[in-house]
This record gives sequence, structure tokens and C-alpha cells, in this order.
Amino acid sequence: MQRRRQLLRHLRRHPLDSALSLAIVLLLAWALWATGQWVVEVADWRVVSANLPLYVSGAYPADQRWRPLVWLGLILTLTLVTLLWPRPRSGQRPGPMRVALPWLWLLMLPLGLAVLAGGAGTGLTAVSSRAWGGLVLTLLLTGASGLLALPLGVILALGRTSDLPVLRHGSRLYIDLMRAVPLIAVLFFGQLLVPLFLPVELEINRVVRAVVAFALFASAYVAEDVRGGLQSIPPTQREAAAALGLNAWQSLQLVVLPQALQIAIPALTNQAIGLLQNTSLMALLGLVELLGISRSLLANPAFIGRHLEVYVWLAALYWLLCTAMALLARRLERSVQPIPRAPGR
Amino acid sequence: MLKRRPLAVLLGLALLSGCATLGEGGASRLDLIRQRRSLRCGVSGKIPGFSYLQTDGSYSGLDVDLCKAFAAAFVPETGAVDYRPLTAPERFTALRTGEIDLLSRNTTMNLSRDAAGGNGLSFAPVVFHDGQGLMVTTDSGINRLEDLQGQSICVGSGTTTEQNLNDAFEARGIAYTPIKYQDLNQVVAGYLQGRCQAMTSDRSQLAAARSGFADPRRHRILEEVLSKEPLAPASVGGDQRLADAMRWVVYALITAEELGITQATVQRRYNEAKRRPELTRLRRFFGIDAGLGEKLGLNDDFVVKVIRATGHYGEIYNRNLGPQSQVPIPRGLNRLGRDGGVMVAPPFQ
Repeated sequence: MQRRRQLLRHLRRHPLDSALSLAIVLLLAWALWATGQWVVEVADWRVVSANLPLYVSGAYPADQRWRPLVWLGLILTLTLVTLLWPRPRSGQRPGPMRVALPWLWLLMLPLGLAVLAGGAGTGLTAVSSRAWGGLVLTLLLTGASGLLALPLGVILALGRTSDLPVLRHGSRLYIDLMRAVPLIAVLFFGQLLVPLFLPVELEINRVVRAVVAFALFASAYVAEDVRGGLQSIPPTQREAAAALGLNAWQSLQLVVLPQALQIAIPALTNQAIGLLQNTSLMALLGLVELLGISRSLLANPAFIGRHLEVYVWLAALYWLLCTAMALLARRLERSVQPIPRAPGR
Repeated sequence: MLKRRPLAVLLGLALLSGCATLGEGGASRLDLIRQRRSLRCGVSGKIPGFSYLQTDGSYSGLDVDLCKAFAAAFVPETGAVDYRPLTAPERFTALRTGEIDLLSRNTTMNLSRDAAGGNGLSFAPVVFHDGQGLMVTTDSGINRLEDLQGQSICVGSGTTTEQNLNDAFEARGIAYTPIKYQDLNQVVAGYLQGRCQAMTSDRSQLAAARSGFADPRRHRILEEVLSKEPLAPASVGGDQRLADAMRWVVYALITAEELGITQATVQRRYNEAKRRPELTRLRRFFGIDAGLGEKLGLNDDFVVKVIRATGHYGEIYNRNLGPQSQVPIPRGLNRLGRDGGVMVAPPFQ
């Protein structure tokens, strides 16, 4: 009641105000109506519905499609469990599920690689990475390069804040160099030039090349985010650790890094989401990830001219992925032990 | 400065290793393909009628059918093809580095791509003569270039397309009004809105654009071709055995059409030739006599395998670009020599 009165008062403050509000509401309503009408009546969604398996796993052999599906199912389950599992009350020890979750997440990547590639040791038919595509490839690219970039970035950040001049300058040079080059240039270098430098017999898989290029690029940004975290830890923390008799490695591992990384989580989430969206650049270099597979499908004479439907669908899909990642990150942020604030003096 | 020097060293190394690999003689990619039992074929994957992804996840199109024909000849046991979607900038790198065995990705053959001083490729015979064309509505009554006298034509500005249009009309003394747009999508939109009587672009692109129209049957592509865009499969230069084998696979497709040997009849014709020794020409073509396939490093009956896999050139064309297909392009120059086109094959002797 109170709020409604407040709202009405705002609207009636001035005739121009009211007119503007009305115009904006009408405009919004019209936009919503037009979009809704397009989605329901005009758009021909067969281009999406008929090609769902391709969006999921690209040109993966049809009789093996259950493998990427199982993997995606596991990820979805894990996401839901992570988001919905009750958080331990403050002061309580986390249950076994909470302890297991991070390890399960880490396990997803090697599991995905094994399930998709198959071959010796897994009892599954081997499927070359040429046949990987769609959502599965997008997730693999993001996951693998993120997992490589994080430790690399932490090492670079530690190097940059180190007292040893060689380490410090080396890390700084690398970070500055990588940040001065556009991502697309790094990717082109990895896809087009690296194979030229290597002897003909040595062929590095191009998915691997893409992952390494993404990881090398992202690590420079991760390093700066982590450095921000490191520098926000007051020097008294190290001094206190030293006073307790911890050596340099112990103090880093037990005192400094856990706090620094926690502070860096929001910035790192940014990087992870950016990384997911950047994988779409690989469509320019012939990988059939989500965007690439869409462009191939649009060339199918049966679906020519359905650009709008495909891109709207892609936007929705990317939105869903990024939102899920953001929610997971928020969950992570809340679940790590809060830093005990120094008692105010 | 610091950035440049390592790059220069790397480039130097790359050149050296490039020379080293080019210098090796004797071994052919063909042996590697047979050993691997599958052909790695570079395609575009994004061109309607030439190569695109079907709903079941398999590739289809004219370029794709050629991959299948090559695979049937090179790997007769399986005919397996590994498709590798490539974008325009990476296609030659992929060839040079051996990531793919051959390129079947509507690549225009020209001197600088063929020459050792340029891209250093070897081109197989042209499999599709593309060229700039004009599209009009069927009820406009326009049948030839001359009918466009005084009419307006939608064209992309600042392109060779615009230049070619001007050259062709100038040479014939036909006056016209060009209506210029930034890119092909806008040209299409302008044409559909009726702002011009005709639109111009490469014929394959016109056909692709048309198949997305609400009523494709109301639009026609004129027979006249304003420029040359001969599209041909390519392999790395300096591998003569592979280049020869590719060349004669394409010639086999054309010869089969000349002889009227189709996918459906090839087995019957083969059996017939086997029975009757007087059919010398057919026996040579099918590899029953003379051992022509062996000279190329293929099986003697490679022609039979190829036709069985894809049919002859005309069948491939009609399947992907014929009047009944979803992307119809008038055959024009791509007809056989005897029908007024330029598709001819040297004798199998």
C-alpha cells in the first residue's frame, strides 16, 4: 500500500513526467507484444527443433550421441546439486557432499574428455576430435582453458609480486605482452602459424591448439585479478604467519593465497564468463562450436534465411550458460569461509 | 623491438622447415591416405549446394560429393572421408601443413594460387565454372542482357562485381542505372523491395539467396555470365602422384557422363564390358585392359568405384544444383563440351 502510493505520487509529480512514463510503458508493451508475436507466430523454429542433436554435439556419430548427452546430464545434475544443496549453518562443519562437490567439478573435465574421445582403456569407440562440436565443444573449450589458465595465472601473479627481479620482470613482460595483443590475433597465431612452424610429422590437434591459445591469453588477465587479491592482503598477515613459525611456502599456501583468491572470485567469474563467450571466436577459425555449427546449418538449403531464429536461440542458450556460471560463482563466493575481519580498533 | 626479433627467428625457422619438407621426393600423400584408410577432405561447410551440414550431422553438396569420389578412388576398401570444415583464411595453411589431404572448398583457380612463387598449389580440373550472373523476376519478361536497357540493377559497391557489371554492359553498349549497396544481404533486400529490375552477384550466391526467398520460382538467373570464377579442388604442389590421381578422378566423372554410365548402370556396363572383348574403349575406361589405374598408383577399377559412389558428373551436378534440387543453378558452362559447355575430358588411353 505504502509502495503503491509512493509510485502513484512519482507518476503524478508533473504532467510531463506522467506523459513520459505512459509513453515508455506503451513502448515497452508494444516491444513485448511484437517480440511475443514474432516468437509465437512468425518465427519458424524447425531450424532449431530439427537440429537439436547438432547443437548439442555437432557432427558426433549418431549412434554414439548418448555419450555427450550423458556428460551434459552429469554437469546439469551437478549444477543443480551445487545450487540447491542446503548450505551449512555458520559454525557447523560442512557435510560430506559439500566437501566432495569441488572434486566432482574438477573430475568433470577429464571425465568429459574420456567419454567423448573414447578409445583404448575406456571400452568405447574412439571418436576423433574432428567430430566434436556444438555445446559440448563450447563447454570443453571453456572448461579446459579455464582450468589451465587459473594455475598459470596464479603463478604469474606470484611471479609478478615476487622479490626476485628475473621472475618479476619475466612475468610482467609476459602479462603486458599478452594484454597488448588482441585475442583473435593469438587464436590466428595458434591455428594458422603454429602448424607451419612444426615439422609435418608432428600434428597437434586443433582443439588442443585452441585450448592452449585461450589459456595463455586468459592467464595474463587471471594473473592481474589474482595480483589484485594478493595486494589487498595486509603485510601483517605474512608477519603474523612468520611469527607463528610458518615458512614462506606455508604462509603463502595457508594464509595469503586462500584470502587473495577469495577476494579475486568476482573478477575471476568475469574472466570465466568472458572466456565462454570468447570461444565463439573459434567459429571464424573453422571449429564447429555453438556459433560455428549454427553457421553451417544456415547453409542447409532447407533452413536458408532463418538467421533471426538461430541467433535468438543462440542468444538464449548463451544467456542460460552465463547465468548458470554466475549463479555457481555466487554460490562459491558465499560458501568459502568468510574472512574474519580484524577487530576494529 | 623486443617483440619483433623472436618472431623473425620463428619465421626464418618456418621457412627453413618449409624448404626441407618440399625437398623430399618420392613419397606421396597418396600412400599416407591409403595407409590411413580415410581421406581428409577440407570443405567450407557453409555454402548452400556446395557443402553444408544436414540435419543428421552429415555433410552434403557438390564439393562433398567430390570428396566422396576421391575417397572411393584412393581408399577403395572403405571410401571413408574425414571432413574438415575450413574458413577461407585457413584453407591453404591446412593444406600446406598436411592437416588435410586435399581441398574441395569452392576455391577459384588462378595463376598466383597455382604458381610455385605464389600459394604453390596443384589444381585438379575445374569442377564448377562459377561466374557473375544476374537475377530477375520471371514476370519481368527479361531474358537477355539487352532486355535490361535503361533498367536499374542492384549491386554491391566497391567490389569486382560492380566493376564486372560495368565492363560487360559498357562492352555491349547497354545503358543501365546501378543501385549500390554495402553487402549482399542489402542487395537482396533492395531487389526484393523492387528498387531494381535485376540484382547481380556470383551465380552460386544468387541461387543460394533465391532458395531463401518466399517464392523462389518467381525469380530466374539469366544464362549470361559476366566473369570467370573457375572453382577447382586443390592439393599441395610438388606431389605429382596425388595431383595426377585427383585430375583423372575428375576426368573419370566427366567421361562417364559422356559415355552415359550412371550410378545405377555402372555395374551392368562393367559386367557387359568384361564379357565382350570388342568393347575396347569401355574396357580401358573400366580398367579391364591396359592397367590405366595402376599407372596412377590406384586400383585398375577405380573408375567403377568412383561412379558407384557418386554417379557421373552430371548426376552430381543435378543432385546438388540441378533444377529439382533446393539450390537450382542453370548448368551453363558446366555442360559437357558436346552440349555447348566446357566440360571435356582427355581420352583414357
